[in-house]
Amino acid sequence: MRLGRYELTLEPRPARPAIFTALTAVVAILLALALSSFLFLSSDTRLIDAYRAVFSYAFFNPHGVLATVHRSIYLLFCTYAFLVPFRAGLWNIGLPGQVYAGGLAAFAVPFVLRTHNPQTLALPPGLLIVLMIAAAAAAGAATGGFAGLLRAKLQVNEILVTMMLNSILFWLVAYMIKEGGPFMSATGEGESFGLPSSLHAPLLLGVPVTAVLALCVAVLLDLLFAKTALGYRIRAFGENPAAARYGGIIPVALSLLVFLLGGAFAALAGYHYFAAVPGVYKIPGNYGYYGDLGFYGIIAALIARGSSLGAVPIVVLFAGLSVGARFAQGELRLPFGVDYALLGLLMMTFVASHVLYHFRFGWRRIPSEALQPVPTELPRG
Amino acid sequence: MSPPDLAPTEPILAARGITKRFPGVLALDHVDLEIQAGEIHAVLGQNGAGKTTLMNILFGLLQPDEGALYLREQRIRFRSPHDALARGIGMVHQTRRLVSAHTVLENIALGHPRTRGFLNLRSTRLEVEALGNRYGFTVPLGARVWQLSEGERQWVEILKALYRGAEILILDEPTAALTPPEVKTLLAGLQTLVRDHGVTVLLVTHKLPIVMAVSHRVTVLRSGRVVARLRTADAAEESLVQHMIGRDIAFRTMNRSAEMGRPLLQVEQLSAFNDKGLLALRGVSFSLREGEVLGVAGVTGNGQEELAQVLAGLRPAASGRVRLDGRDVTRLSPLQRWRMGVGYIPAERIEVASIATFSLVENTALNYHFDPAFIRRGLLDNAGLEQLTQRIVTTYNVKAPSQYARAQHLSGGNLQKLILGRVLSRNPRLLIAHLPTQGLDVEAAAFVRATLVEATAEGAAVLLISEDLDEILSLSDWVAPIYEGRFGAIIPRAEAGAETVGAMMAGVGMKEAGVR
Amino acid sequence: MWELVARSLEASTIFLFAALGELIDQRSGVLNVGLEGLMLFGGTAAFITAQTTGSHALGFLAGLTLGGLLGLGHGFFSITLRGDQVVSGMGLWILSFGLTTYLGSPYTGPLGLGRIPSLWGLSPFFPLGVALVAITWLLLFRTGLGLAIRSAGENPAAAEASGIPVTSIRFLCVALGGMLAGLSGATYTLSYNPVWNYNFLMGWGFVSLALVFFSMWNPWILLAGASLFGIMWQLSLSPELILPGVLSRYVWRTVPFAITIPILCIISTPWFRTRWGLAKPEALGRPYAKG
Repeated sequence: MRLGRYELTLEPRPARPAIFTALTAVVAILLALALSSFLFLSSDTRLIDAYRAVFSYAFFNPHGVLATVHRSIYLLFCTYAFLVPFRAGLWNIGLPGQVYAGGLAAFAVPFVLRTHNPQTLALPPGLLIVLMIAAAAAAGAATGGFAGLLRAKLQVNEILVTMMLNSILFWLVAYMIKEGGPFMSATGEGESFGLPSSLHAPLLLGVPVTAVLALCVAVLLDLLFAKTALGYRIRAFGENPAAARYGGIIPVALSLLVFLLGGAFAALAGYHYFAAVPGVYKIPGNYGYYGDLGFYGIIAALIARGSSLGAVPIVVLFAGLSVGARFAQGELRLPFGVDYALLGLLMMTFVASHVLYHFRFGWRRIPSEALQPVPTELPRG
Repeated sequence: MSPPDLAPTEPILAARGITKRFPGVLALDHVDLEIQAGEIHAVLGQNGAGKTTLMNILFGLLQPDEGALYLREQRIRFRSPHDALARGIGMVHQTRRLVSAHTVLENIALGHPRTRGFLNLRSTRLEVEALGNRYGFTVPLGARVWQLSEGERQWVEILKALYRGAEILILDEPTAALTPPEVKTLLAGLQTLVRDHGVTVLLVTHKLPIVMAVSHRVTVLRSGRVVARLRTADAAEESLVQHMIGRDIAFRTMNRSAEMGRPLLQVEQLSAFNDKGLLALRGVSFSLREGEVLGVAGVTGNGQEELAQVLAGLRPAASGRVRLDGRDVTRLSPLQRWRMGVGYIPAERIEVASIATFSLVENTALNYHFDPAFIRRGLLDNAGLEQLTQRIVTTYNVKAPSQYARAQHLSGGNLQKLILGRVLSRNPRLLIAHLPTQGLDVEAAAFVRATLVEATAEGAAVLLISEDLDEILSLSDWVAPIYEGRFGAIIPRAEAGAETVGAMMAGVGMKEAGVR
Repeated sequence: MWELVARSLEASTIFLFAALGELIDQRSGVLNVGLEGLMLFGGTAAFITAQTTGSHALGFLAGLTLGGLLGLGHGFFSITLRGDQVVSGMGLWILSFGLTTYLGSPYTGPLGLGRIPSLWGLSPFFPLGVALVAITWLLLFRTGLGLAIRSAGENPAAAEASGIPVTSIRFLCVALGGMLAGLSGATYTLSYNPVWNYNFLMGWGFVSLALVFFSMWNPWILLAGASLFGIMWQLSLSPELILPGVLSRYVWRTVPFAITIPILCIISTPWFRTRWGLAKPEALGRPYAKG
């Protein structure tokens, strides 16, 4: 682009130190927060009060903090679900579908093993809880693995397949919990039966055990990609599939593996929200909302540039923001969907930061000779 | 051949004081070039001398940082190829610029001013046929480009340029992918165009014989500077070589004490499909002993890539068998073959053999991530890999800022040395080297060749696949010309003459593929 | 029965407009996986504009404009900056999904304008769609511009060497494709189902994207595919017309999505690809650097 005597160019950045990576992430998030001020313009409150309402509820109000913690765990699993296939260059946007699959499988365990007496169970509750978690992970892995297998074997576009699975599972959940579906609650309110209290996931200091799992996975994934041969293979495949194949990596096995892992993580997110969060313990009628929240996981993984440890603070912030935004929405009488708008804004600033991450602007003075008008049209002959 | 009047007349096209910089490289340094109407003007130079950059500037693909172009002594600026085409300059690039899924006719019509609005391919066809008849050559206009031979494709590009009204034709390395007979046809055709139809030809090449055979005048480029400007008739071949290279580097035959070892590889009637689903390798048989080099000579696209990939396990064999040490390995995976000592250097250094965003150490790991010596309980032994990389960098003289620099910052020659070192450090018993010196400068190429020879001295069998007949003849024990997926013959080096092998590369005198 | 057919054909036009736009994009070599986002934004803009001004025409204009602008945004990222086209497309989709939910929510509910007049019960958009298919086919296969577009998608370097301005051609195509996606969204919110609801498309855009792959990049096959999916979609909404009382209505809703997967698999088999797959633009999704 020419501006007077200067030329503005975009040049690829040769090297990107780690601090720069972190900086682009921070800038992207701050920019999205700044842009979100337009969401509050329609309310009568001053801007600063609106932000204060969001943050103080999310991080200082006792109810809010707990909600933030629960949501962080959920989003962390969603982040891993996207992150692992993404390191192999594949897009798992099937988080909602895999979340639903996990929820359904978890609830299938007590449903199948129930006895006629609702107070007794066929197996000890501790074992049942483990079974529920295993069933959820298996169902999610199967849902994700299906897309991974099709991708690996036939090169079927994984974005399309996972998206189709999202819609399919969305309606399957509706079938299971609504209008007389097998999982419908006794009251017939379009939600699933509630878990008996013996099957609630154990709490540590008021936080479900899934929190421990989520944090352990963050460390393990970081080790996987940094130190292990398997992690190396996943990264190599993600950067250059042809080179990975040349180096002896088997694409089918790898694509399948990352999608199995991704699907299992998303399903654990589903297990967490529907079977481990105090006060829920059922698949609620607005389960679609939780599916949509899963997309925060995509952005968190993208902004963290594939680092599972880097994603933890980002996820906690996003969880707080989405919880606080929902609260502020009611408090300040804002239109529905402030948390959705934030999702969109974050995506927008991520793409913008992505550009700055890969390119830098360059100014170049155009030599005066080149500026002289030179005829490009000459009479022929 | 009747050379045109070479008295200094007004040049039809001139470049004066052209300078072009790329990040970190001065590609052209105040280059002057003058072309007379009705001559064949050769621009001679090695890879990296700046020839292609200069041609891209003449054709409007690049803009010079300094200097200007003059058409019939009028200063002119080409903002894009469109401007150059409109002024009667046509270019035939080194790699074909044709849409292979389209018909020849569609390709010729593409971008022609006549195709504004609705396409009238029928009238275009008549015009192109008339043009072809006038210049005395025909190409099948209805065929899809991917169905044509490389020689035919080149004529399509020339015809396309002429149909656009080109009076000046720029041909960049036109003989690069042609067989010797195709080269002859091309050169004869160009001479006819110049002599009988007044076309001016600018021929860019690094091949001296071609310059001597057809050009009237020659400009020699070295490292972005013009080092000589001569009438070809006055030029001696030796002096041109010196101008081009800057000092004497003779191409010598590698002398090796060939001690043939045990038989290692047997290939029987091997066939394979290409990516389009066509049979590209059609029943190739040969055997190879330890310490032996089989040179497969052929123009790219005759099944060499498929042969290399099938042997490396990256492409399934359609039929036939591959035996290593007597064991059938036809269905083994690439990994299993690496473990059995098959090393593969693919032609695509950047696309296949390396990962641009990975460091040198991580690129070394590409052939080691499955090696038990470098894995402890699932963890990669990073210190070991670092040492190994350091050893490769020192032994193979890889110039890199650091071991943790990204591969994308290495030059082609250094990247190839890294790949070669990485593969050879596994001590492969069979080495498949596909176009190992393509695009390398003279010194790097000589280094790579010497390294291959060393590997055979240590008992490795080498399958060398190359387009460069000189390279094949200087390195191989056996020469196998390949054409359309078949070996013409398998000839001992002592009996392999450039003439016969060259003819077989073009499909002339194909004998029944023999098993040795 | 005719009502069902007419309704199905109207549903097909929504697939058709969006997929036609994507087809033009892809023929020039640009992949936009965020098609659903463009439709969401176009549809929401059209709905809000129509409701505030009371004019269908202004609504459609708003849908077209916004779709075109978002298409250009995708072009800036993927053509000018040579960024990853999937990153940009996914970004557009999530951006649209989030922002339209917020911006549209005060307008949740029916449009409150009169229905757009129909011809014998058939929406006028279906004949428009057929006409657009014919025009697109003519454009791509019978004009010089079409040859330039197809060449830019097959081999941009060859096109550039022939004097074709690849960058401009691709920008033209992403703008056109975006406008068609916007039109598709507007047709949904102003005519097919004039009730705004958050994320009202629920996967129509992704099915349209799949339809482009099914069509082998041929507008006429696309028309057939879109019609088929229109019928299937409509039947999945009211299965009781064919099979009353069999299975829950929710199960039927999964059918169009469930059928897409095996079709995607079939067209991806080596058998299919070697016979028919040559139609895929060779440079699809690959950024082009000049020179």
